[in-house]
Amino acid sequence: MGDDIMSYNGGVALAMKGKECVAIACDKRYGVQNKTIATNFTKIFQYVLFENVSFFLKVQTVSERLRFRTNLYELREQRKLKPLVLYNMLTNLLYERRFGPYFVYALVIGLDPKTGETYVFDSDNIGAISDNVNLATVGTASDYIFGLGELFFKPNMNADELFEATSQALLNGVDRDSASGWGAVVYVVEKDKVTVRELKGRQD
Amino acid sequence: MALACTLGFKSNDDFNRSLQSEKTDNHIDEFCPKLNIENIAQFITLPPYADPAQYMKMVNDNVDRIRIQFLKGTTTLAFKFRNGVMVAVDSRATAGGFIASGEVKKVIEINPYLLGTMAGGAADCAFWERVLARHCRIYELRNKEKISVAAASKILANMVFEYRGMGLSMGTMIVGWDKRGPGLYMVSDDGERISDNMFSVGSGSIYAYSILDATYKYEMSTADAIDLARRAIVHAAHRDAASGNIVRIYHMKETGWEKIEEKDTNDYMYQFREDKTMNF
Repeated sequence: MGDDIMSYNGGVALAMKGKECVAIACDKRYGVQNKTIATNFTKIFQYVLFENVSFFLKVQTVSERLRFRTNLYELREQRKLKPLVLYNMLTNLLYERRFGPYFVYALVIGLDPKTGETYVFDSDNIGAISDNVNLATVGTASDYIFGLGELFFKPNMNADELFEATSQALLNGVDRDSASGWGAVVYVVEKDKVTVRELKGRQD
Repeated sequence: MALACTLGFKSNDDFNRSLQSEKTDNHIDEFCPKLNIENIAQFITLPPYADPAQYMKMVNDNVDRIRIQFLKGTTTLAFKFRNGVMVAVDSRATAGGFIASGEVKKVIEINPYLLGTMAGGAADCAFWERVLARHCRIYELRNKEKISVAAASKILANMVFEYRGMGLSMGTMIVGWDKRGPGLYMVSDDGERISDNMFSVGSGSIYAYSILDATYKYEMSTADAIDLARRAIVHAAHRDAASGNIVRIYHMKETGWEKIEEKDTNDYMYQFREDKTMNF
Protein backbone atom coordinates (compact mmCIF):
# COMPACT_ATOMS: atom_id res chain seq x y z
CA MET A 1 0.00 0.00 0.00
CA GLY A 2 2.92 2.34 0.55
CA ASP A 3 3.39 4.74 3.42
CA ASP A 4 1.34 7.46 1.77
CA ILE A 5 -1.19 8.92 4.23
CA MET A 6 -3.80 9.49 1.53
CA SER A 7 -3.91 5.77 0.72
CA TYR A 8 -3.91 4.63 4.34
CA ASN A 9 -7.61 3.87 4.35
CA GLY A 10 -8.26 3.73 0.62
CA GLY A 11 -11.62 4.37 -0.96
CA VAL A 12 -12.93 6.08 -4.02
CA ALA A 13 -15.75 8.30 -5.21
CA LEU A 14 -17.06 9.29 -8.63
CA ALA A 15 -19.54 11.94 -9.76
CA MET A 16 -21.06 12.42 -13.18
CA LYS A 17 -23.53 14.81 -14.74
CA GLY A 18 -26.52 14.11 -16.91
CA LYS A 19 -29.47 16.12 -18.21
CA GLU A 20 -31.16 17.56 -15.09
CA CYS A 21 -29.72 14.72 -13.03
CA VAL A 22 -26.43 14.06 -11.26
CA ALA A 23 -24.99 10.83 -9.89
CA ILE A 24 -22.47 10.24 -7.16
CA ALA A 25 -21.04 6.83 -6.31
CA CYS A 26 -18.58 5.47 -3.78
CA ASP A 27 -17.19 2.15 -2.68
CA LYS A 28 -17.95 0.63 0.73
CA ARG A 29 -14.62 -0.49 2.08
CA TYR A 30 -13.21 0.63 5.40
CA GLY A 31 -9.70 -0.71 5.83
CA VAL A 32 -6.32 0.04 7.29
CA GLN A 33 -3.68 -0.52 4.63
CA ASN A 34 -4.05 -4.18 3.67
CA LYS A 35 -6.55 -5.13 6.35
CA THR A 36 -10.26 -4.76 5.51
CA ILE A 37 -12.19 -3.92 8.65
CA ALA A 38 -15.71 -3.23 7.41
CA THR A 39 -17.59 -3.45 4.15
CA ASN A 40 -20.47 -1.11 4.84
CA PHE A 41 -18.74 2.26 5.10
CA THR A 42 -20.30 4.57 2.54
CA LYS A 43 -18.65 7.90 2.22
CA ILE A 44 -21.59 10.06 1.19
CA PHE A 45 -22.97 12.65 3.60
CA GLN A 46 -25.72 15.27 3.68
CA TYR A 47 -28.62 15.95 1.42
CA VAL A 48 -26.90 18.23 -1.02
CA LEU A 49 -24.58 15.24 -1.15
CA PHE A 50 -20.96 15.66 -0.44
CA GLU A 51 -18.47 12.93 -0.18
CA ASN A 52 -15.08 12.33 1.30
CA VAL A 53 -12.55 9.60 0.97
CA SER A 54 -9.13 8.83 2.36
CA PHE A 55 -8.48 9.23 6.04
CA PHE A 56 -11.71 8.33 7.77
CA LEU A 57 -11.21 9.95 11.14
CA LYS A 58 -10.78 13.18 9.30
CA VAL A 59 -13.76 12.36 7.09
CA GLN A 60 -16.01 12.28 10.11
CA THR A 61 -14.49 15.44 11.56
CA VAL A 62 -14.80 17.37 8.32
CA SER A 63 -18.33 16.25 7.63
CA GLU A 64 -19.45 17.15 11.14
CA ARG A 65 -17.74 20.53 11.13
CA LEU A 66 -19.29 21.28 7.77
CA ARG A 67 -22.68 20.22 9.03
CA PHE A 68 -22.30 22.62 11.93
CA ARG A 69 -21.60 25.50 9.58
CA THR A 70 -24.39 24.63 7.18
CA ASN A 71 -26.93 24.28 10.00
CA LEU A 72 -25.93 27.70 11.30
CA TYR A 73 -26.28 29.17 7.81
CA GLU A 74 -29.77 27.72 7.39
CA LEU A 75 -30.87 29.03 10.78
CA ARG A 76 -29.53 32.51 10.15
CA GLU A 77 -30.66 32.84 6.54
CA GLN A 78 -33.90 30.91 7.01
CA ARG A 79 -33.45 29.17 3.68
CA LYS A 80 -31.87 26.03 2.28
CA LEU A 81 -28.29 25.92 1.06
CA LYS A 82 -27.35 26.03 -2.58
CA PRO A 83 -24.72 23.55 -3.81
CA LEU A 84 -22.23 26.28 -4.66
CA VAL A 85 -22.50 27.70 -1.15
CA LEU A 86 -21.84 24.29 0.38
CA TYR A 87 -18.83 23.85 -1.86
CA ASN A 88 -17.39 27.22 -0.94
CA MET A 89 -17.90 26.49 2.75
CA LEU A 90 -16.12 23.18 2.34
CA THR A 91 -13.12 24.58 0.51
CA ASN A 92 -12.88 27.37 3.05
CA LEU A 93 -12.94 24.80 5.88
CA LEU A 94 -10.17 22.85 4.23
CA TYR A 95 -7.99 25.89 3.53
CA GLU A 96 -8.27 26.98 7.17
CA ARG A 97 -5.99 24.04 7.81
CA ARG A 98 -3.60 24.84 4.98
CA PHE A 99 -0.47 24.08 7.03
CA GLY A 100 -1.78 21.05 8.86
CA PRO A 101 -4.37 19.74 6.44
CA TYR A 102 -7.21 17.32 6.80
CA PHE A 103 -6.38 14.13 4.89
CA VAL A 104 -9.52 14.18 2.89
CA TYR A 105 -10.45 14.58 -0.77
CA ALA A 106 -13.92 15.90 -1.40
CA LEU A 107 -16.55 15.78 -4.10
CA VAL A 108 -19.69 17.89 -4.01
CA ILE A 109 -22.70 17.40 -6.23
CA GLY A 110 -25.97 19.28 -6.32
CA LEU A 111 -29.07 19.98 -8.33
CA ASP A 112 -31.27 23.05 -8.35
CA PRO A 113 -34.85 21.71 -8.29
CA LYS A 114 -36.34 24.80 -9.92
CA THR A 115 -33.98 25.30 -12.83
CA GLY A 116 -32.61 21.76 -13.14
CA GLU A 117 -29.08 23.09 -13.15
CA THR A 118 -26.49 20.48 -12.17
CA TYR A 119 -23.30 20.94 -10.19
CA VAL A 120 -20.29 18.67 -9.79
CA PHE A 121 -17.22 19.99 -8.00
CA ASP A 122 -14.15 18.32 -6.59
CA SER A 123 -11.42 19.43 -4.23
CA ASP A 124 -8.01 18.31 -3.08
CA ASN A 125 -7.19 18.19 0.60
CA ILE A 126 -6.37 21.87 0.97
CA GLY A 127 -9.48 23.19 -0.73
CA ALA A 128 -8.54 23.86 -4.34
CA ILE A 129 -11.60 25.19 -6.15
CA SER A 130 -12.61 23.48 -9.37
CA ASP A 131 -15.03 24.51 -12.08
CA ASN A 132 -18.40 22.88 -12.49
CA VAL A 133 -17.22 19.77 -14.34
CA ASN A 134 -18.93 16.88 -16.13
CA LEU A 135 -17.01 14.16 -14.36
CA ALA A 136 -14.95 14.08 -11.19
CA THR A 137 -13.22 11.29 -9.31
CA VAL A 138 -11.27 11.18 -6.07
CA GLY A 139 -9.51 8.43 -4.16
CA THR A 140 -6.93 5.71 -4.55
CA ALA A 141 -8.47 4.27 -7.74
CA SER A 142 -9.22 7.66 -9.29
CA ASP A 143 -6.79 7.25 -12.18
CA TYR A 144 -8.42 3.99 -13.29
CA ILE A 145 -11.94 5.34 -12.88
CA PHE A 146 -11.20 8.54 -14.78
CA GLY A 147 -10.32 6.57 -17.88
CA LEU A 148 -13.50 4.54 -17.75
CA GLY A 149 -15.59 7.59 -16.83
CA GLU A 150 -14.37 9.54 -19.85
CA LEU A 151 -15.20 6.54 -22.00
CA PHE A 152 -18.76 6.08 -20.74
CA PHE A 153 -19.70 9.73 -20.38
CA LYS A 154 -22.02 11.25 -22.97
CA PRO A 155 -23.54 14.72 -22.69
CA ASN A 156 -27.24 14.98 -21.69
CA MET A 157 -27.77 11.43 -20.45
CA ASN A 158 -31.03 10.61 -18.75
CA ALA A 159 -31.14 9.17 -15.23
CA ASP A 160 -30.95 5.50 -16.25
CA GLU A 161 -28.07 5.95 -18.67
CA LEU A 162 -26.29 8.05 -16.08
CA PHE A 163 -26.70 5.34 -13.47
CA GLU A 164 -25.33 2.72 -15.87
CA ALA A 165 -22.34 4.82 -16.86
CA THR A 166 -21.45 5.74 -13.27
CA SER A 167 -21.78 2.23 -11.90
CA GLN A 168 -19.81 0.58 -14.71
CA ALA A 169 -17.00 3.11 -14.43
CA LEU A 170 -16.75 2.66 -10.66
CA LEU A 171 -17.08 -1.12 -10.47
CA ASN A 172 -14.52 -1.83 -13.16
CA GLY A 173 -12.11 0.82 -11.94
CA VAL A 174 -11.99 -0.50 -8.37
CA ASP A 175 -11.12 -3.98 -9.62
CA ARG A 176 -7.68 -2.64 -10.43
CA ASP A 177 -7.11 -1.12 -6.99
CA SER A 178 -6.46 -3.23 -3.92
CA ALA A 179 -7.59 -0.53 -1.45
CA SER A 180 -11.12 0.07 -2.75
CA GLY A 181 -14.14 -1.93 -3.66
CA TRP A 182 -16.11 -4.45 -1.66
CA GLY A 183 -19.39 -3.19 -3.09
CA ALA A 184 -20.63 0.24 -4.11
CA VAL A 185 -23.45 2.69 -3.57
CA VAL A 186 -24.83 5.06 -6.21
CA TYR A 187 -27.03 8.09 -5.54
CA VAL A 188 -28.85 9.50 -8.57
CA VAL A 189 -30.27 12.94 -7.86
CA GLU A 190 -33.11 14.22 -10.04
CA LYS A 191 -35.41 17.24 -9.68
CA ASP A 192 -38.06 15.38 -7.74
CA LYS A 193 -36.27 12.42 -6.14
CA VAL A 194 -33.02 10.84 -5.04
CA THR A 195 -32.57 7.16 -5.90
CA VAL A 196 -30.10 5.17 -3.85
CA ARG A 197 -28.91 1.87 -5.28
CA GLU A 198 -26.44 -0.63 -3.83
CA LEU A 199 -24.24 -2.40 -6.32
CA LYS A 200 -22.95 -5.92 -6.11
CA GLY A 201 -19.21 -5.79 -6.58
CA ARG A 202 -16.20 -8.03 -6.16
CA GLN A 203 -15.67 -8.78 -2.48
CA ASP A 204 -11.93 -9.25 -2.68
CA MET B 1 27.74 -48.37 -10.83
CA ALA B 2 30.97 -49.94 -12.11
CA LEU B 3 30.99 -47.80 -15.23
CA ALA B 4 30.46 -44.72 -13.12
CA CYS B 5 33.45 -45.62 -10.92
CA THR B 6 35.64 -46.20 -13.98
CA LEU B 7 34.80 -42.77 -15.24
CA GLY B 8 35.71 -41.31 -11.88
CA PHE B 9 32.14 -40.47 -10.92
CA LYS B 10 31.69 -39.94 -7.18
CA SER B 11 28.95 -41.96 -5.48
CA ASN B 12 25.59 -40.82 -4.08
CA ASP B 13 26.70 -39.78 -0.64
CA ASP B 14 29.11 -37.27 -2.12
CA PHE B 15 26.28 -35.57 -3.91
CA ASN B 16 27.40 -32.09 -2.94
CA ARG B 17 30.93 -32.68 -4.10
CA SER B 18 29.71 -34.23 -7.31
CA LEU B 19 27.93 -31.03 -8.18
CA GLN B 20 31.21 -29.17 -8.29
CA SER B 21 33.52 -31.91 -9.48
CA GLU B 22 35.24 -31.37 -12.83
CA LYS B 23 35.53 -35.03 -13.86
CA THR B 24 31.90 -36.16 -13.84
CA ASP B 25 29.74 -36.83 -16.90
CA ASN B 26 29.87 -33.21 -17.85
CA HIS B 27 28.34 -33.40 -21.32
CA ILE B 28 25.32 -31.56 -20.00
CA ASP B 29 27.50 -29.07 -18.25
CA GLU B 30 29.51 -28.18 -21.33
CA PHE B 31 26.42 -26.71 -22.87
CA CYS B 32 25.04 -25.22 -19.68
CA PRO B 33 27.61 -24.90 -16.90
CA LYS B 34 26.42 -25.11 -13.32
CA LEU B 35 25.46 -21.91 -11.65
CA ASN B 36 27.67 -21.36 -8.64
CA ILE B 37 29.21 -18.44 -6.86
CA GLU B 38 32.32 -18.31 -9.10
CA ASN B 39 30.71 -18.26 -12.51
CA ILE B 40 27.62 -16.29 -11.54
CA ALA B 41 28.57 -13.42 -13.84
CA GLN B 42 27.81 -15.67 -16.82
CA PHE B 43 24.20 -16.11 -15.75
CA ILE B 44 23.13 -13.03 -13.87
CA THR B 45 24.20 -9.48 -14.54
CA LEU B 46 25.77 -8.34 -11.32
CA PRO B 47 24.89 -4.92 -9.97
CA PRO B 48 27.50 -2.21 -10.57
CA TYR B 49 28.30 -1.59 -6.94
CA ALA B 50 30.47 -3.33 -4.42
CA ASP B 51 28.04 -4.22 -1.67
CA PRO B 52 24.62 -5.25 -2.97
CA ALA B 53 23.27 -5.93 0.50
CA GLN B 54 23.93 -2.43 1.73
CA TYR B 55 22.63 -0.80 -1.44
CA MET B 56 19.42 -2.80 -1.39
CA LYS B 57 18.88 -1.82 2.23
CA MET B 58 19.19 1.85 1.26
CA VAL B 59 16.73 1.42 -1.54
CA ASN B 60 14.24 -0.32 0.69
CA ASP B 61 14.56 2.39 3.34
CA ASN B 62 13.52 5.06 0.86
CA VAL B 63 16.75 7.03 0.86
CA ASP B 64 16.80 9.75 -1.82
CA ARG B 65 13.13 9.12 -2.54
CA ILE B 66 13.78 5.89 -4.45
CA ARG B 67 11.72 3.11 -3.09
CA ILE B 68 11.37 -0.41 -4.44
CA GLN B 69 8.72 -2.22 -2.49
CA PHE B 70 9.02 -5.97 -2.13
CA LEU B 71 5.73 -6.85 -0.54
CA LYS B 72 4.63 -10.38 0.08
CA GLY B 73 1.09 -9.46 -0.89
CA THR B 74 -0.47 -12.81 -1.42
CA THR B 75 -1.99 -15.81 0.30
CA THR B 76 -0.60 -19.29 -0.18
CA LEU B 77 -1.17 -22.29 2.01
CA ALA B 78 -0.38 -25.99 2.17
CA PHE B 79 -1.19 -28.68 4.69
CA LYS B 80 -0.56 -32.39 5.06
CA PHE B 81 -3.44 -34.71 5.76
CA ARG B 82 -4.29 -38.39 5.59
CA ASN B 83 -4.35 -38.56 1.77
CA GLY B 84 -1.36 -36.37 0.91
CA VAL B 85 -0.81 -32.63 0.79
CA MET B 86 -3.31 -29.96 -0.23
CA VAL B 87 -1.94 -26.74 -1.74
CA ALA B 88 -4.03 -23.64 -2.40
CA VAL B 89 -3.04 -20.17 -3.63
CA ASP B 90 -4.67 -16.93 -4.76
CA SER B 91 -3.66 -15.18 -7.98
CA ARG B 92 -3.33 -11.44 -7.34
CA ALA B 93 -0.13 -9.45 -7.91
CA THR B 94 -0.03 -5.94 -6.45
CA ALA B 95 2.53 -3.20 -6.93
CA GLY B 96 1.81 -0.75 -4.12
CA GLY B 97 -1.95 -0.26 -4.42
CA PHE B 98 -2.23 -1.10 -8.10
CA ILE B 99 -3.39 -4.60 -8.97
CA ALA B 100 -0.89 -5.49 -11.65
CA SER B 101 -2.48 -8.83 -12.47
CA GLY B 102 -5.30 -11.05 -11.30
CA GLU B 103 -4.12 -14.17 -13.04
CA VAL B 104 -0.68 -14.95 -11.70
CA LYS B 105 0.23 -18.63 -11.45
CA LYS B 106 1.57 -18.87 -7.94
CA VAL B 107 2.04 -22.63 -7.95
CA ILE B 108 5.16 -23.60 -9.83
CA GLU B 109 5.12 -27.13 -11.20
CA ILE B 110 8.74 -28.12 -10.63
CA ASN B 111 8.18 -31.66 -11.90
CA PRO B 112 5.26 -34.13 -11.84
CA TYR B 113 5.84 -34.98 -8.17
CA LEU B 114 7.14 -31.68 -6.76
CA LEU B 115 5.34 -28.35 -6.44
CA GLY B 116 6.59 -24.98 -5.24
CA THR B 117 4.48 -21.98 -4.26
CA MET B 118 5.32 -18.36 -4.92
CA ALA B 119 5.17 -15.51 -2.43
CA GLY B 120 7.26 -12.36 -2.45
CA GLY B 121 9.09 -11.38 -5.61
CA ALA B 122 7.64 -13.26 -8.56
CA ALA B 123 10.90 -13.18 -10.48
CA ASP B 124 12.88 -14.51 -7.55
CA CYS B 125 10.52 -17.39 -6.92
CA ALA B 126 10.10 -18.36 -10.57
CA PHE B 127 13.83 -18.19 -11.36
CA TRP B 128 15.15 -20.09 -8.37
CA GLU B 129 12.49 -22.75 -8.54
CA ARG B 130 13.38 -23.32 -12.17
CA VAL B 131 17.06 -23.70 -11.18
CA LEU B 132 15.84 -26.16 -8.54
CA ALA B 133 13.94 -28.09 -11.23
CA ARG B 134 17.16 -28.42 -13.17
CA HIS B 135 19.04 -29.75 -10.15
CA CYS B 136 16.26 -32.22 -9.42
CA ARG B 137 16.30 -33.54 -12.99
CA ILE B 138 20.06 -33.98 -12.98
CA TYR B 139 19.83 -35.83 -9.66
CA GLU B 140 17.18 -38.10 -11.11
CA LEU B 141 19.29 -38.88 -14.16
CA ARG B 142 22.45 -39.54 -12.17
CA ASN B 143 20.92 -41.59 -9.39
CA LYS B 144 18.04 -43.31 -11.20
CA GLU B 145 15.61 -42.37 -8.46
CA LYS B 146 13.41 -39.38 -7.68
CA ILE B 147 14.86 -36.76 -5.39
CA SER B 148 13.42 -36.55 -1.87
CA VAL B 149 11.49 -33.45 -0.82
CA ALA B 150 13.97 -32.89 2.01
CA ALA B 151 16.87 -32.83 -0.44
CA ALA B 152 15.09 -30.61 -2.95
CA SER B 153 14.14 -28.05 -0.31
CA LYS B 154 17.67 -28.16 1.09
CA ILE B 155 19.12 -27.41 -2.36
CA LEU B 156 16.85 -24.39 -2.68
CA ALA B 157 17.57 -23.15 0.83
CA ASN B 158 21.32 -23.43 0.28
CA MET B 159 21.11 -21.61 -3.05
CA VAL B 160 19.30 -18.61 -1.60
CA PHE B 161 21.47 -18.55 1.51
CA GLU B 162 24.37 -17.52 -0.76
CA TYR B 163 22.40 -14.36 -1.54
CA ARG B 164 21.32 -13.64 1.99
CA GLY B 165 21.05 -9.91 2.68
CA MET B 166 21.12 -8.97 -1.00
CA GLY B 167 17.43 -8.28 -1.25
CA LEU B 168 15.93 -11.50 -2.62
CA SER B 169 12.32 -11.79 -1.58
CA MET B 170 10.94 -15.29 -1.57
CA GLY B 171 8.63 -17.22 0.74
CA THR B 172 7.96 -20.55 -0.86
CA MET B 173 6.64 -23.93 0.18
CA ILE B 174 8.10 -27.07 -1.41
CA VAL B 175 5.54 -29.84 -1.56
CA GLY B 176 6.10 -33.39 -2.74
CA TRP B 177 5.67 -37.07 -2.18
CA ASP B 178 8.73 -39.27 -1.79
CA LYS B 179 9.45 -42.68 -0.26
CA ARG B 180 8.99 -41.24 3.22
CA GLY B 181 5.46 -40.16 2.32
CA PRO B 182 4.09 -36.65 1.84
CA GLY B 183 6.61 -33.83 2.35
CA LEU B 184 6.06 -30.13 3.09
CA TYR B 185 8.85 -27.63 3.69
CA MET B 186 8.73 -23.87 3.96
CA VAL B 187 11.82 -22.14 2.51
CA SER B 188 12.37 -18.41 2.66
CA ASP B 189 14.84 -15.85 1.37
CA ASP B 190 16.74 -15.63 4.65
CA GLY B 191 17.67 -19.28 4.34
CA GLU B 192 15.00 -20.59 6.73
CA ARG B 193 13.84 -24.12 5.97
CA ILE B 194 11.37 -25.86 8.23
CA SER B 195 9.02 -28.79 7.95
CA ASP B 196 5.59 -29.04 9.55
CA ASN B 197 2.05 -30.19 8.84
CA MET B 198 0.57 -26.82 7.91
CA PHE B 199 1.92 -23.56 6.54
CA SER B 200 0.56 -20.36 5.11
CA VAL B 201 2.69 -17.59 3.61
CA GLY B 202 1.92 -14.04 2.59
CA SER B 203 0.03 -10.98 3.77
CA GLY B 204 -3.25 -12.92 3.84
CA SER B 205 -1.77 -15.83 5.78
CA ILE B 206 -3.12 -14.50 9.10
CA TYR B 207 -6.67 -14.87 7.84
CA ALA B 208 -5.98 -18.26 6.25
CA TYR B 209 -4.42 -19.58 9.49
CA SER B 210 -7.52 -18.77 11.49
CA ILE B 211 -9.75 -20.73 9.10
CA LEU B 212 -7.29 -23.62 8.93
CA ASP B 213 -6.76 -23.81 12.69
CA ALA B 214 -10.50 -23.89 13.29
CA THR B 215 -11.34 -27.05 11.35
CA TYR B 216 -8.09 -28.82 10.42
CA LYS B 217 -7.83 -32.51 11.29
CA TYR B 218 -5.17 -34.84 9.95
CA GLU B 219 -7.82 -37.54 9.33
CA MET B 220 -9.90 -35.34 7.00
CA SER B 221 -11.22 -36.80 3.80
CA THR B 222 -9.99 -35.40 0.50
CA ALA B 223 -13.27 -33.60 -0.16
CA ASP B 224 -13.12 -31.91 3.26
CA ALA B 225 -9.50 -30.95 2.72
CA ILE B 226 -10.33 -29.31 -0.63
CA ASP B 227 -13.19 -27.42 1.00
CA LEU B 228 -11.00 -26.25 3.88
CA ALA B 229 -8.22 -25.08 1.57
CA ARG B 230 -10.73 -23.25 -0.63
CA ARG B 231 -12.46 -21.53 2.27
CA ALA B 232 -9.18 -20.42 3.78
CA ILE B 233 -8.12 -18.72 0.56
CA VAL B 234 -11.56 -17.21 -0.02
CA HIS B 235 -11.69 -15.72 3.48
CA ALA B 236 -8.17 -14.36 3.10
CA ALA B 237 -9.07 -12.90 -0.30
CA HIS B 238 -12.05 -11.15 1.26
CA ARG B 239 -10.21 -9.52 4.15
CA ASP B 240 -6.75 -8.96 2.69
CA ALA B 241 -6.58 -6.24 0.07
CA ALA B 242 -3.51 -7.77 -1.57
CA SER B 243 -5.05 -11.21 -2.17
CA GLY B 244 -7.88 -12.29 -4.38
CA ASN B 245 -9.11 -12.96 -7.90
CA ILE B 246 -8.66 -16.70 -8.62
CA VAL B 247 -8.14 -19.59 -6.19
CA ARG B 248 -6.10 -22.53 -7.45
CA ILE B 249 -6.02 -25.82 -5.59
CA TYR B 250 -3.61 -28.72 -6.12
CA HIS B 251 -3.57 -32.13 -4.44
CA MET B 252 -0.23 -33.91 -3.98
CA LYS B 253 -0.79 -37.67 -4.02
CA GLU B 254 1.47 -40.70 -4.15
CA THR B 255 1.19 -40.73 -7.93
CA GLY B 256 2.15 -37.06 -8.23
CA TRP B 257 0.21 -33.82 -8.12
CA GLU B 258 -3.25 -33.23 -9.51
CA LYS B 259 -4.78 -29.84 -10.22
CA ILE B 260 -8.16 -29.77 -8.53
CA GLU B 261 -9.59 -26.44 -9.56
CA GLU B 262 -9.09 -22.87 -10.65
CA LYS B 263 -12.13 -20.69 -9.87
CA ASP B 264 -12.97 -17.09 -9.09
CA THR B 265 -12.94 -16.29 -5.35
CA ASN B 266 -15.72 -13.73 -5.79
CA ASP B 267 -18.18 -16.40 -6.97
CA TYR B 268 -17.37 -18.49 -3.90
CA MET B 269 -17.86 -15.51 -1.61
CA TYR B 270 -21.40 -14.96 -2.84
CA GLN B 271 -22.04 -18.69 -2.66
CA PHE B 272 -20.80 -18.82 0.96
CA ARG B 273 -22.98 -15.85 1.80
CA GLU B 274 -25.99 -17.81 0.50
CA ASP B 275 -25.35 -20.73 2.82
CA LYS B 276 -24.50 -18.39 5.68
CA THR B 277 -20.91 -19.51 6.16
CA MET B 278 -19.68 -16.04 5.28
CA ASN B 279 -20.91 -12.62 6.23
CA PHE B 280 -20.63 -9.34 4.41
